Amino acid sequence: MKLGDAGSQTTLGANDELSLWAPARQSGDLIADLLRDQADLTAVERFSQYHDGSPLPAHGRYYSALIPAAAPGPGQQYGFEVDLDRCSGCKACVAGCHSLNGLDENEAWRDVGMLIGGTFSLPVIQHVTSACHHCVDPACLNACPVDAYEKDPITGIVRHLDDQCFGCQYCTLACPYDVPKFHAGKGIVRKCDMCGDRLAAGEAPACVQACPHEAISITIIDVADIKARAEAGEFLAGAPSPSITQPSTVFLSRRSSVDDDLRPADEDRLKPEHAHTPLVAMLVLTQLSVGGFLVDLIARLKTGHTITGLGALSLAIGFLGLGASLLHLGRPLYAYRAILGIRHSWLSREVAAFGLFIHAAMAYVAANLLLDRPMLTLGLLVATVLAGLVGVGTSMMVYHVVKRPFWAAEIGGTKFYFTTLILGFAASLVCLGITGAPVAMVVPAALALMLVTGAKLVFEAKLQAISLKSQIEPLNKSARLLDGVLKRVAGRRLSLGIVGGIIVPLFVAVGAIGADRGAMVAASVLVLPLTIAAELCERWLFFTAVVKSKMPGGY
Amino acid sequence: MTLANDGQSLFDRAIQLIRAKDGKLTRELLREPGGFGLGQVPANKTPDSVTSMVCGFCSTGCGLTVHLREGSAVNLSPTTIYPVNRGMACPKGWEALSVLDAPDRATVPLLRSPDGNRVPIDWNKAMTTMVTRIKEIQAVHGPDSVAFLSTGQIATEEMALLGSLAKFGMGIVHGDGNTRQCMASAVVAYKQSFGFDAPPYTYHDLEESDCIVLIGANPCIAHPVLWERVTSNPHSPEIIVIDPRRTETAMAATMHLPVKPKSDLALLYGFAHLIIKNGGVDHEFIKAHTNGFEEFAEFVKDYTPKRVAAETGLHIADICETACRIQQGKRVSFWWTMGVNQSHQGVKTAQAAINLALMTGNIGRPGTGANSITGQCNAMGSRLFSNTTNLLGGRDFTKAIDRTKVAGILNIPEERIPDRGSWAYDQIIDGIRAGKIKALWVIATNPAHSWIGQNQLRETLGQLEFLVVQDMYHSTETAQMADLLLPAAGWGEKEGTLINSERRIGLIKKVRRAPGQALADFSIFKLVAHYYGVGEMFAEWSSPEAVFQILKRLSAGQPCDFSGIENYQTLDNAGGMQWPFPAEGADTATERRLFADGKFFHADGRAKFLFEEPRPLPEIPGGRYRFQLLTGRGSAAQWHTQTRTSKSDVLRKLYPRDPLVEINPADAKQLAIKAGNWVVVESKRGRLKVRAVVTPTVPPGHLFIPMHDASTNRLTDPVFDRESRQPAYKSCAVSLRRAANDEVIDPTQAEFSTLKGSRS
Repeated sequence: MKLGDAGSQTTLGANDELSLWAPARQSGDLIADLLRDQADLTAVERFSQYHDGSPLPAHGRYYSALIPAAAPGPGQQYGFEVDLDRCSGCKACVAGCHSLNGLDENEAWRDVGMLIGGTFSLPVIQHVTSACHHCVDPACLNACPVDAYEKDPITGIVRHLDDQCFGCQYCTLACPYDVPKFHAGKGIVRKCDMCGDRLAAGEAPACVQACPHEAISITIIDVADIKARAEAGEFLAGAPSPSITQPSTVFLSRRSSVDDDLRPADEDRLKPEHAHTPLVAMLVLTQLSVGGFLVDLIARLKTGHTITGLGALSLAIGFLGLGASLLHLGRPLYAYRAILGIRHSWLSREVAAFGLFIHAAMAYVAANLLLDRPMLTLGLLVATVLAGLVGVGTSMMVYHVVKRPFWAAEIGGTKFYFTTLILGFAASLVCLGITGAPVAMVVPAALALMLVTGAKLVFEAKLQAISLKSQIEPLNKSARLLDGVLKRVAGRRLSLGIVGGIIVPLFVAVGAIGADRGAMVAASVLVLPLTIAAELCERWLFFTAVVKSKMPGGY
Repeated sequence: MTLANDGQSLFDRAIQLIRAKDGKLTRELLREPGGFGLGQVPANKTPDSVTSMVCGFCSTGCGLTVHLREGSAVNLSPTTIYPVNRGMACPKGWEALSVLDAPDRATVPLLRSPDGNRVPIDWNKAMTTMVTRIKEIQAVHGPDSVAFLSTGQIATEEMALLGSLAKFGMGIVHGDGNTRQCMASAVVAYKQSFGFDAPPYTYHDLEESDCIVLIGANPCIAHPVLWERVTSNPHSPEIIVIDPRRTETAMAATMHLPVKPKSDLALLYGFAHLIIKNGGVDHEFIKAHTNGFEEFAEFVKDYTPKRVAAETGLHIADICETACRIQQGKRVSFWWTMGVNQSHQGVKTAQAAINLALMTGNIGRPGTGANSITGQCNAMGSRLFSNTTNLLGGRDFTKAIDRTKVAGILNIPEERIPDRGSWAYDQIIDGIRAGKIKALWVIATNPAHSWIGQNQLRETLGQLEFLVVQDMYHSTETAQMADLLLPAAGWGEKEGTLINSERRIGLIKKVRRAPGQALADFSIFKLVAHYYGVGEMFAEWSSPEAVFQILKRLSAGQPCDFSGIENYQTLDNAGGMQWPFPAEGADTATERRLFADGKFFHADGRAKFLFEEPRPLPEIPGGRYRFQLLTGRGSAAQWHTQTRTSKSDVLRKLYPRDPLVEINPADAKQLAIKAGNWVVVESKRGRLKVRAVVTPTVPPGHLFIPMHDASTNRLTDPVFDRESRQPAYKSCAVSLRRAANDEVIDPTQAEFSTLKGSRS
């Protein structure tokens, strides 16, 4: 029922039972009157004393002492200063920032975490408010492939350029403090800008204005001091090391208890991370593509012949993989910007390397098909493989540089290059099987696949066993996740790996040796989907089982 | 446009494709000066006018400046100049508008059909049904077979209309408020000690004390804006916190006394013992302004440090040291909240604090007082004008003189005013169980979540013949059980006044349109009056402001006299006004306290020392139930049963994701419970499954569960303070174990039968 209809409808119904208690005519009118009254907004006309607008912020009286009077000088920047003794955990700063900055419902630029610890006789809880640390060496800025971050040369504020961002979310992985947040609705990342324009106008940032206890202030700090503190490891108990990005926030406490024996309240929380499915597909498929060309090159060098169809298959899957990466972007239309950050961003470098790779691969496949120039095609194949292997290396570095132990090069690199080999051999086996290649080609490919699969599974099992006992907290947590909520997928990954990479290839080899062509073809066709599925599982776990670095959280 | 310009803009656009420093997305977060003294605000929410009103969550009563566009609220910020909060608010206040937009707002009346579904109906049918059913039930079982449960969450004018309509218009005798759950002990304590329910303080006292004693209070979390006053106290005060848990407030204290739950009464008697013994008594004040000190001094002789240490679990040295600091303070203030009130001996504990203030002369002067910090935004309005326990204006139903007075003021026949008091909340519930109450009208409260011993309560509500619930949301645990749901407008969608903890009357205003056909509670009461056939009796009660004028007349001559406040505009201009504010000779200072003249409200003008032997805990942990369960507020982002606070994304981010129990590391270790594990907590009355939070801030042998999860009150033990009838939420005996994998908890247990309504 619409609001405006209420009166007539209620009058209509009024005759039935109402006459007992009250005259129907009036009742209908009363309801309509009350509904009409309800829709009238009266505050403005009735209480108008605030209408004489004053241009100056009245709130200045409370915060003027909490912000610097002048801009930072050379070698200085702004920084948040948090007096932990004054932070009571009310979290008004988060809500105030939200309202005064017009953030969307599900957004927050500031967060309040908790540290707990102390002794049996003197327990300690300490709330910790924090936002962006406007670092001297910002990991977000370094990681960004489109240069959507800039560090203001005067204030030191690390500002995100919303219109420049194309939503790759790499900064959300790179920031050790988990500050930039992806806004799925807008397809970009947004984050705290220290209310830079408020400061420029002599106003305090929203959080400083909102804190009832004056726990947050803005100070001018010497960059040299920030660096010295970062080097000395002075920041906050339970927070990531300041040495990575040199954060400018200073946490103060006069309480002797706020020291290193405090632990984040969410330290024991085990929660899988976002799977980033398009990236899972992109990594596995580009690695398959590179592996396909690599095995093609090996065949060419060993036998003088490439494997029929392998180049084309690898190219097609390479395209699929790169296409998948676009699905990851919040604003894929701006994908062309991805190369802008090549001087500092491993993501830009990955884009460049795979760009080279796919162009070389196209040239090679075309040349192989159209030209009878063996040396040229070999040259193009070598170039393709080299570009591809570099590409896989850049993928490894993309994850290595964000400093999550589970993504370190020795783990990520091993996984990525083994995937390259496994899927390369698996793809070659399909091509060999379908085209009825000789036993001498099929059996070595099958054996190679079994070997590399076995090696990778052993590596993963050993890593898991070591991590379960590891003192490195994030690595240990990853292992516990794999042993806990992610156990089913981990089990599936293992069985798919064994079946697709070892058992079925064994059938292919046996079929080839036994000249059972039907069995060989059938088995070889199965190999690729099974191994791809196995590697997709592995890569899904690579993303979900990682433990991110962040500020202490609450429970 | 010239060619050069064209070229320029094309060039710019090409550059923009590569390097976009500005654009649509950037402009979405633009800020610009908001005018009205606001400073910069989001550009897409720049107001064309602003107005100030008080917050509708807790009793602090902060002023909020609402940013309006074409009369409708688009944003808000705390009011800079409001004397209560001075430009600050807690997250609930900041988010007060966003909870109005929730998808589960009740927008049309809902009637339960015979098949159990809730069917939308129009207001006429809703009112006809309600009045018909109530009259039928009253005809068969008597007028007093219908009861109502009021609230501290609606405007004073509304609760006065409700109470008057129910009792004078509809012949209802029994009605109580959810304020029974938070304030009743303080009310009774004040009435008995001072002669009137009169919290004596102003918030400014927090800044003037040199010794602040907080008993069962955690203002850091429950009243953050009051804690602001403590942090801006320039006298480096002693802050003494008496609380079993090491709370945020305890962390910030100069002295934390982690007493055994409910042993605070003995501790306060122990302080009195020591202060008397050490000569810290203000004999002059006692002689001039109090009664009963001699008996009290005799009584506390037994409360030696040794005995108190044994009963509280504290060290003798700490007890003596604290008593000494209290004695040395020049301006000592005692503050308490639910840790005291929600107890089986809440009244006497509050009075033990009052006794300390009286005997040391710490009352009526700046920075002193025995001060109850209230809970709900209008608990104080409810105490004076809900017409439940007290007759309007803090009067007594059983006194003929009071009935005559009220009948005269309201111009109604005196016999319409019941000559007996109402049953308290728990007695009404018992009345339902005994078949004496057949219909219940619940307004802006959520007993199916908040009432103590929930399984039993829900079963009891199921026995009603007719349950009417009036609420902003159709989704509350109680609303879902209703036979008839009346959709109410909320804070921000209607007008009226609220009274805060320091007796300050503040305005709420209409700055948002209510969704659908939701109506202000005031309008709903007017409708009920009309359909019930008593509309004429309330002809003068035409608008909230007209009722405010009636309330002024009702207050005149009472301690709460505010007949000198002209109208809403006066209140608005002044930034809220404290009672008393009589028509003649009112003190017009912005922040005022009571009893500066040492005159209390008993007939002889003297305050009373009141005391009693502490009683043992109603349920002593042991055997199977070896843990002692404490309950309380979880975070500053949560309010009571969360009907509102769970509707804000921001607030949801700020409180724990899962229901939780806090466990001491020693207990966790012994039971092989790790942080984050699911555990089962069980009492004799029910059980629940929550996540373990392992923290040394709860003492060994104790557990803490926030009250905000609906399951918490499955565990609590329905026992009550004998004098105030307030439920003792804070303590009961429970067991604890790790939950088996994927264990599903049957909340109901064997003895619990099927519920009415859809909630399982």
